[in-house]
Amino acid sequence: MPPEQEIRSLEDSGDDLYDTILTQPTDASQRCRILVVDDDDLVRARLTALLRNAEFEVEAASNGGEALRIMESRHCQVLLTDWQMPDMDGLTLCRIVRSEHAAGYVYVLMLTVRDSKEDLLEGLGAGADDYVVKSAPVEEILARLEVARRITHVEYSLRRSNRENRRLAVTDPLTGAHNLRFLMKYLPRELARAQRYLHPLAVLSCDIDRFKQINDAYGHEAGDDVLRAFVARAHGCMREGSDWLARVGGDEFMVVLPETDVVGANRVAHKLRKVLSHCAVATHAGPVKLTVSIGITAVEAEPEIREFSKIEDLLRAADRGLYASKQNGGNNATATSIAAGRLASLKHKGDKNGIN
Amino acid sequence: MGSIRRRPRKAAAIAHDDGFENLRQAFHARLESERVHFVTLSAALARADESPVWIFEDLVYRAHRLQGGAAIFEESEVAVAAGKLESAAVIAAESHADNTNEEVWAALEALVRLMGNRDSVRCLQA
Repeated sequence: MPPEQEIRSLEDSGDDLYDTILTQPTDASQRCRILVVDDDDLVRARLTALLRNAEFEVEAASNGGEALRIMESRHCQVLLTDWQMPDMDGLTLCRIVRSEHAAGYVYVLMLTVRDSKEDLLEGLGAGADDYVVKSAPVEEILARLEVARRITHVEYSLRRSNRENRRLAVTDPLTGAHNLRFLMKYLPRELARAQRYLHPLAVLSCDIDRFKQINDAYGHEAGDDVLRAFVARAHGCMREGSDWLARVGGDEFMVVLPETDVVGANRVAHKLRKVLSHCAVATHAGPVKLTVSIGITAVEAEPEIREFSKIEDLLRAADRGLYASKQNGGNNATATSIAAGRLASLKHKGDKNGIN
Repeated sequence: MGSIRRRPRKAAAIAHDDGFENLRQAFHARLESERVHFVTLSAALARADESPVWIFEDLVYRAHRLQGGAAIFEESEVAVAAGKLESAAVIAAESHADNTNEEVWAALEALVRLMGNRDSVRCLQA
């Protein structure tokens, strides 16, 4: 399964934290869209006109199959469907809508001439939320659709609120970067994907040099500015929609680089150091010079990829590199191998552009 | 959670705007042509030798469609009469009744008469 599909399957499983980094919300519009399904063109036209006057956004289909095709292309909050139709009837349509995972809840109102109690029970049993006979006064049909509008609005608000809560749960409020919780949830998945497809995966462990002194000298507000600037500049060095960054401590960050070997990771580390030290960060207390120490590690070849199934190995190796960089005076990047726990030969120091 | 600020228009105002009249006229035109179809089907039923299942099924289809349309266009008498014909024709088709089925004929004649009366009323109104 390609990574995009895998991500999609994660979303389909209801675990859609990846929305926050890889996709945009699909339901930005709050206007209630209603899909009218009836095989009678005059009835369709009548209902369409009626509902547009009632300020619904209206789509129309002549049978269940056509309705499903419309619903595949755009989310309809309300489905107003007839029962008996050629090709696919309303009952079958209702069952399919209920069995499939949609972006949001679909409120189904069956509008039919079938008026027996058995029919009503069968319609509700198939998944309809409400059931009304066509002979009901127009006012009643509209009133029931207002209920549908109200309920779908509440559902939309709850879903949006849940999405926002999930986003906040994995977001560092100060910098807007992901937090440790996100790292611990998604780094294992990145590693699993790398192992499954034998693709490389790199991690940079970053620590802002002399951050405590910055806080002490310029104040915490300036320190916060520095953290925000770090995140903003780091994002400029990363591939959008693929690489990601998490704040894991006061001034510690992890950059995750899927599909990246140690050479590529080293290149990103160099770029990161360069953009951070290139010009001072404007803070509340004035400009502050900024440098960063980085530990680099990557899994990139068999059997290494298959062998290391724990992210702890990956993080520990990156931290060893970071420690070595700090030991060397900071403002440098050191690559370490996961396997041996030894420093790799890929090392660069200061402003040198290359590998020592 | 946001509130629902939209105050819906009065349902009666929504239900009877100009567009509705155009559609209602189109539906009345359909009623006239449907009446012709029902008369034709009744003639076919009268001539049918053996179990005329296909005629009953056609009656079911047309009566069902007419019932739904009439209900939506507020022609309740037509909707009720069409519903009775549909029910009678369903039973006749399932039981392989012959062309003398009384329930079907009664419902069919009542519906055609009602639709004819409607035509006459509209002609007089015109």
